[in-house]
Amino acid sequence: MLIPHPLLGLRDAQEFTYLGDAALIDRPDPEAGEAAFASYVYDRDNPAGLHRELWFHEQGDRSWLVVTRDTLTHEILGAELARNVARTRRAGA
Amino acid sequence: MTRVSGGLIDRSRSLTFTFNGQSYAGHPGDTLASALMANGVRLVGRSFKYHRPRGIFSAGSEEPNALVTLRSSARAEPNTRATVAELYDGLEASSQNHVGPLGFDLLAVNDLMAPFFAAGFYYKTFMWPRAFWERLYEPMIRRAAGLGRLSDLPDPDAYDRGYLHCDVLIIGGGAAGLMAALSAGRAGARVILADEDFRLGGRLLAESDPIDDAPAPQWVERVEAELRSLPNVRILTRTTVFGAYDHGIYGAVERVADHLATPGDGVRQTLWRITAKRAVLAAGATERHVPFADNDRPGILLSGAMRAYANRWSVAPVAKADDPVAIFTTCDDGHRTARDLLAKGVNLIGVVDARADAPAGKDYEVFAGGLVTGTRGRRGLTSIRLRHGGQDRWIDCTALGVAGGWNPNVHLASHHRGRPVWDDTRLAFLPGDGGPGGLIPAGACAGKGSTAAALADGAAAAETALTALGITARTPDMPRAEDHADRPSAIWHVPGKGRAWVDFQNDVTVKDIQLSHKENMRSVEHMKRWTTLGMATDQGKTSNVTALAVMAEMTERSIPQTGTTIFRPPYTGVSLGVLGGGDTGADFRPRRLTPTHHWAETQGAVFVEVGPWMRAQYFPQPGETHWRQSVDREALAVRAGVGLCDVTTLGKIDVQGADARDFLNRVYANMMGTLQVGRTRYGLMLREDGTLFDDGTCARLAEDHYVVTTTTANAGAVYRNMEFARQCLWPDLDVQLISTTDAWAQIAVAGPKSRQLLTRITDGADLSNAAFPFMACANLTVCGGLRARLFRISFSGELAYEIAVPARYGAALMQRLMEEGADLGVTPYGTETLAVLRIEKGHAAGAELNGQTTAQMLGLGRMVSAKKDSIGAVMSRREGLAADTRRLVGLVPVDPAQKVTAGAHLFTKGAVQNTVTDQGWITSACHSPHLGHAIGLGFLEHGDTRIGEIITAANPLEGQEVALRVASAHFVDPEGERLRD
Amino acid sequence: MSLRPISSTLRESAFVTDLTPTCALGATTPRSLRLGAFGLTECPEVALASLALRRDAPRPDATLPEAGFWAETALGTALWTGPDQWMIEGPGLADTDFAAQVAHRAPGCSVTDQTDGWVLFDLSGPVERVLERAVNLDPARLAPGQALRSVIDHMPVLLVRRAPDRLGIWGMRSSAESLWHALERMLAHLSAR
Repeated sequence: MLIPHPLLGLRDAQEFTYLGDAALIDRPDPEAGEAAFASYVYDRDNPAGLHRELWFHEQGDRSWLVVTRDTLTHEILGAELARNVARTRRAGA
Repeated sequence: MTRVSGGLIDRSRSLTFTFNGQSYAGHPGDTLASALMANGVRLVGRSFKYHRPRGIFSAGSEEPNALVTLRSSARAEPNTRATVAELYDGLEASSQNHVGPLGFDLLAVNDLMAPFFAAGFYYKTFMWPRAFWERLYEPMIRRAAGLGRLSDLPDPDAYDRGYLHCDVLIIGGGAAGLMAALSAGRAGARVILADEDFRLGGRLLAESDPIDDAPAPQWVERVEAELRSLPNVRILTRTTVFGAYDHGIYGAVERVADHLATPGDGVRQTLWRITAKRAVLAAGATERHVPFADNDRPGILLSGAMRAYANRWSVAPVAKADDPVAIFTTCDDGHRTARDLLAKGVNLIGVVDARADAPAGKDYEVFAGGLVTGTRGRRGLTSIRLRHGGQDRWIDCTALGVAGGWNPNVHLASHHRGRPVWDDTRLAFLPGDGGPGGLIPAGACAGKGSTAAALADGAAAAETALTALGITARTPDMPRAEDHADRPSAIWHVPGKGRAWVDFQNDVTVKDIQLSHKENMRSVEHMKRWTTLGMATDQGKTSNVTALAVMAEMTERSIPQTGTTIFRPPYTGVSLGVLGGGDTGADFRPRRLTPTHHWAETQGAVFVEVGPWMRAQYFPQPGETHWRQSVDREALAVRAGVGLCDVTTLGKIDVQGADARDFLNRVYANMMGTLQVGRTRYGLMLREDGTLFDDGTCARLAEDHYVVTTTTANAGAVYRNMEFARQCLWPDLDVQLISTTDAWAQIAVAGPKSRQLLTRITDGADLSNAAFPFMACANLTVCGGLRARLFRISFSGELAYEIAVPARYGAALMQRLMEEGADLGVTPYGTETLAVLRIEKGHAAGAELNGQTTAQMLGLGRMVSAKKDSIGAVMSRREGLAADTRRLVGLVPVDPAQKVTAGAHLFTKGAVQNTVTDQGWITSACHSPHLGHAIGLGFLEHGDTRIGEIITAANPLEGQEVALRVASAHFVDPEGERLRD
Repeated sequence: MSLRPISSTLRESAFVTDLTPTCALGATTPRSLRLGAFGLTECPEVALASLALRRDAPRPDATLPEAGFWAETALGTALWTGPDQWMIEGPGLADTDFAAQVAHRAPGCSVTDQTDGWVLFDLSGPVERVLERAVNLDPARLAPGQALRSVIDHMPVLLVRRAPDRLGIWGMRSSAESLWHALERMLAHLSAR
């Protein structure tokens, strides 16, 4: 697989470490309570189709990326720096 | 010799080779198959199940029959297809799958038993009695199973791998592929042209039809010369593209040295991983045969192969020049072979054309509407039974070419579950949609089988690829070439009583397919598995479509209604050696060495693998014959004097930034925010689910500068997680991370005399308890000005330090400490002693942090701060975890002579032992030289309240049951006075 | 008193110590090798420091290269390694406190000494033939002037294409011997062709 790194172009997936659902960016507020954290830690969608997920460019620039992938075809529709995604979400929250 | 005129072999040179020990000669340009044929060798192997005599069937990688073991001894390679083995001087080959000589195979008795070996034989026969399976059936099947034999010797050859990148990958160097390469190459695209053959040209080398009025091979040579002159084109011959993977990645094997006796100092094969923006699949087509009774005798081969042998390799498949040869065809293609054979002077007795509207032969007889209904010849064809005009008669015939039409090589186009689609005009499956993205089929594999059509389609495919890449294509002028239609007919097999083979390699006949249908195997997938059709090493290249057609006939459905099978990688077999890419033995994975590694070698250290690291495990001294002697001595030396251990492998992460303090407070579960400059603190990291992730120390070197240590095993994971926290969880904190694990050589200096020793090398530093207390850290200089970091931390429970210097000085520092400490009895120690010391002190390590451990279980529950947010804090307080009552305890055998075994489970004394009554387990155990008996650490239910209780440790695997007394986990200095001294 | 915080002190002088340093490949002198058209040399004399920008700090007075590139700068040869992060090479400065020098010239930045964390091998000759064996990178992304992190035989590396026929390969110091061995094996196989 090839990951379209927003700064470095297409890079082979071998250079990356996969984490999973990009919802992990949305860590609950510490005051949100146990149920919110339980959901954050354990509840995952398993979509047949588009999936936003976290990849770490471990053998590269050490950026965490949010990659949008079609789980049915492996087609990758785009990748963003997770840091930018996280900042945007916090600004919007 | 049955050489004919012309061809693409170099007759000026002779190559000697052996087959089954007999010596023969061939020429450069020959394959093993063509050379055997030229020497009149017809019987080359035995079939898998019935041990039937078999000969050469094809002229390419689809070969189901002519599988030989190439080379000998450690280089012996079974199941090599003679049809693609390039001849070299000294080649050794031997036939397979027979007991006794090839001509008189003892297992040929299987053929007489054939009625018992029908489809589903294994499933039906070996079911009962059950007890026979292990003792009788399995050994019997294993002995008979498999083709060829491995040498069982290590492969002496080297392999490597590589990565190529291009705009357009062209798979196949025949008419379509060459034209595509020419178009893309001239347009300036980066092109890779790969072909499995040792010579470019594909079918053009096998045909007599001219291109631009000259022999086709001349056109091939001209195109190849131009391609080789283009710096943007790379030609890989002897290279099979075996699989298509996601996003335009293709796997290919280049047989770099398989055409040489040995690879010499180079590699035998290279595994290429090719990343291509677009690919043109110009894989050509494979001829299919027409099953009829006893159609598997040596001398019966594909008509197109017969033509290829005559035209390219100048050889006829007969023992003597005037032996009679016939063609059996269901399409016009058989007549092409007839014409070419006649031109080469072969004794052609005629063409049996199953079609009533067969074309008339120019100089040969045509049996229109005729069928071949049987054959004779024990070890090779001697006669065929011709049914023509309602009459059956036997005709002398030594070789028969069979032409059943051509199947496009759609394999790679179906690697992403792209389903081939049936074309009713061409009577063939063509590449369908849903295949690998960016892969464009062209030429014969797309159903464009005539030379003119293939050339045009290759150019068109290149244009499609280039347009998609934004490269302007200029379509080259089309050369003039033949444009015959093949006029295939839907005659799939010759009905009759005898056995008509469909899959030669797995010995599957038309009857087997019919039987599987009767037994209700209605889907193609079930039929395949019931009969094993298409499941041999050739993956059914010459049989799958024919089998489908037979099945369709049974069910009275059309072929597309019956189904299709799609192909998986690899296109042809790939050796495991090349898939490993040479990563064997010591090259299996890289090693990491500590700065004192070579010094430790000179000390005779025994090393142990710790992940990728090589660490000194213990340092045997003269007279020590057992590792325990060395470890006991080392551990006692630390507790009595001073010991040295290289602890460089612990992960080190440099943390800086205005918000470094705040950041660390969030990644550590315990309070890190209050850590003062010049101090170190033990830290616990949790996973977000509340269980322990890692432990280590955190040292504050300056207001905005910390250095964090991790366990050796988790260094990468902790770094990754900290980057996750920095980038994804708290992107607005100002914090910078970088690993410094390798930068600093870190040596633990442990024992009551450690301060005395360190004072001798630190440049006048005050290491007194007042100036440099427990958990202090500082930058200082050692050995006359070398910058160093000193941490007063202890893993052993003794007064101890860790000193770090730039890695290049690590070995020299170790030597200096050894010299300076000679009078103090300084002792180097390894990981084994490190473990003994920490178990004696009750420090948790990897065995305790098993991914399910909580801070409470270690007795550190109060460390998890409730005053701040940190990763895992909320979940650590949840009901299930907070209620966990298992606690880390020390365990001592009641009888000091008894052993304590890690992994043993703990039970209340006298209790029934089962999972319900299980009270915990032993995590770590060792002999404590300090105490003189075995000790252990373990998690025990309510362990903190059971000190002194006698419990039972059960290890049913080893039949052990030991009475243990529960003790404090701190066997040494439980009050911690020594390390604060 | 020799106990002091490290971050505030600038020392440009060579280390004063009576300890003898060891090269990453284990000897006191650097290793080098010629195989056919290829040359491979261990370069212990090049210092290395990481430089990372802080949130509110000014950018250093140097033209730092963009993603995927390296450049000569006032701080030394800068190699892009990540967003707002570079490695700075100091040829011939391995015996000095190079990180302190970089920190002095880039006030307000996070600087970490990396000289001993890495080993530098200089590869000369037809380097693209080695690259296609060693790394899964499009050579077009590693033209002269470009620098990338990647992986060779499972080992992390930082590649610096200094010229058409020269490639700098920074690897982890602890795996220096494995990296050298892997490269030597590739060069031997290539030279045998």
